[in-house]
Amino acid sequence: MTSSAVPYNLNEIGKFFLLSGVWLGIIFGAVWAACWAVGMLVPQLILNAYPNDPCALNVANAIRLLTPLVGVMVFIPINAMYMVLAERRGLALFTVRKGPNRVGPDGFLQTAADAVKLLFKENINPHGGDVLMFTLAPIIFFAPSVFGAIPLLAAVTSNHDLFKIVNLPTGIFYVLAMSSIPVVGIVMGGWASNNKYSLVGGLRSAAQAISYEIPLVLAIITTCFLVGSLDVVNIAQMQKGTDNLASFGFLNWNFFGAGAIPHYLDLLMQGKLEGAQVVTSAFWSLALAFCCILLCGIYLTGACAEINRIPFDLPEAESELVSGYNTEYSGIRFAIFFLAEFTNLFIVSTVAVVMWFGGGATPFPGFLDANTFASIATPFNQALAQAGLPPLMDGQTMSGAFWAIFKTYALVYFAILVRGTLPRFRIDQLLDFGWKKLIPLSLILLLAVTYIRELV
Amino acid sequence: MFALVGRSIESLYQVARGLKTVFKHTVRPPITKNFPDDMPDLPGHFRGRLALAVNPQTSEHLCISCLQCERVCPDKCIQITSHKSPETNKPELIEFKIDHGLCMFCGLCTEVCPTSCIINTNDFEMADYTRESLVYDLKRLTLSQDESAHYFAKKELPMPKPKPPKPAAKPAAPAAAAKPAEDKPEAKPEVKAEAKPQDLPAAPAPESPKKEEQ
Repeated sequence: MTSSAVPYNLNEIGKFFLLSGVWLGIIFGAVWAACWAVGMLVPQLILNAYPNDPCALNVANAIRLLTPLVGVMVFIPINAMYMVLAERRGLALFTVRKGPNRVGPDGFLQTAADAVKLLFKENINPHGGDVLMFTLAPIIFFAPSVFGAIPLLAAVTSNHDLFKIVNLPTGIFYVLAMSSIPVVGIVMGGWASNNKYSLVGGLRSAAQAISYEIPLVLAIITTCFLVGSLDVVNIAQMQKGTDNLASFGFLNWNFFGAGAIPHYLDLLMQGKLEGAQVVTSAFWSLALAFCCILLCGIYLTGACAEINRIPFDLPEAESELVSGYNTEYSGIRFAIFFLAEFTNLFIVSTVAVVMWFGGGATPFPGFLDANTFASIATPFNQALAQAGLPPLMDGQTMSGAFWAIFKTYALVYFAILVRGTLPRFRIDQLLDFGWKKLIPLSLILLLAVTYIRELV
Repeated sequence: MFALVGRSIESLYQVARGLKTVFKHTVRPPITKNFPDDMPDLPGHFRGRLALAVNPQTSEHLCISCLQCERVCPDKCIQITSHKSPETNKPELIEFKIDHGLCMFCGLCTEVCPTSCIINTNDFEMADYTRESLVYDLKRLTLSQDESAHYFAKKELPMPKPKPPKPAAKPAAPAAAAKPAEDKPEAKPEVKAEAKPQDLPAAPAPESPKKEEQ
């Protein structure tokens, strides 16, 4: 064995981290550069060229408003390429294999090569299929994930000026509404393929999405209820921990009862609780935290089903339905389905991060926070300022984006681990689990949280 | 109700156990071999591509045209052409063809071969573009002296004794006299008797003694 010199497979793990680091650097850099160019550089150049011209001001503002869209459009393809590679390498680690390691140095370019290959493949229309619907299906599947991601941008960049525009007062509702559209695309694709397996896959997807949408939305609503806001930026910022015990770092996340535990600890330390109150208050705080952890679990389960990830990938069960709704797809239309699948995984993870894991907040106060990033950013900004260019980054936004991406990928890796572990559900077990277990549980939690939050 | 709670806790525990088990596999070194770079270390009795060995010491061809392999082959993928040598009065190999597209690598031919001439090599990369190119002729089948030595050592086969020098066997009588004294593999005389219907006159045209249907 080649790696016998290095114990415990550090070789392969190291390669995996190196690969992740390089790819994430590429993603981060590309998106950052694109946003900076569109949001700051181009408007400034226009304003410099035509000072005091109201028309130029309008044009500059219009271009600035495009920043979120450009950011998302740059982000999605590169991110999907990385996620496919990370999934394959991660699964290889879990199954004691090596994964793709041929294309480019150590397989770094495997998915780039795959993407190029897919784009150049022939677009085949199935015989007897509905060509218009067949073509529209991947677009309808993909587009909502682009639009759905946009309000989250404001949440993960600490409401940066350039992304303020995409923040809605009811942001989370918008995201949820968008995330339920893709199922229409799947059913359309299944129907238009003129293939019974695809149709069964599409219909299964509809049944599954309807069943699992309810616990998912109930879990999010319960959390919104607890926090008292539907605004994703608000929700993310409320979870921002401080170094004071009443809202200490990660304990302030919604995952641990929306600040119930640090609040209790604070009261306990200050000696404001007396007698039986010490016990009852602790009990209710823990109960609320427990409810929130369950809610997060319900959300992750429902999200897994919503985006057809492995334990719930019945719409594309390879062994039963060949590949379900995308059996007949090839070329760029298949590529779009593929892209959307991974983008959806990223988006549901981002929603979970914003709702339960503190958005862009650092888990430990003072650890890689805004100040650290500001000190990194200062030399760059000074250099750019000397060249007469707008500042490249500010610490607040960078810290937010860094932690949001870090946490999101932690959840994505968890999804990969789940994929490597759990077998696929049977369709009756799936519906049984959704309707008889998750929905009652989420309703009970809604009721429980309503009362407990008054008692804490 | 309590049974349900208990069951869900139990199932959550089991799922967590599964996740833990899978996660622990992360630290195990991969069992993957980088195939074209690291060739697998195959055992000597691996049944790969068939080949004809030569004597590792003298580089004589070991085949004595006994046709045992051709007869035993269940797929009938071996085709031997031989004729009776005018000089030694023994069968002499002209052409040896194996259709590897038909072969099922059962290894029966290697078992019956009295001189350990036909052997299974460790080569398994035989993919080709046409069926015709899967039919290996004598030239492609015959191993070099070094390769033969390698496989004889790896398979722990007994080293074949060298054939008697040909000039000595030229006259008919000395050849007949030398025959019992020869240290040829024992199978050879009896095979000859069996395989050769004795009705073939010495030194005919090479085609005529073609024994295709035994």
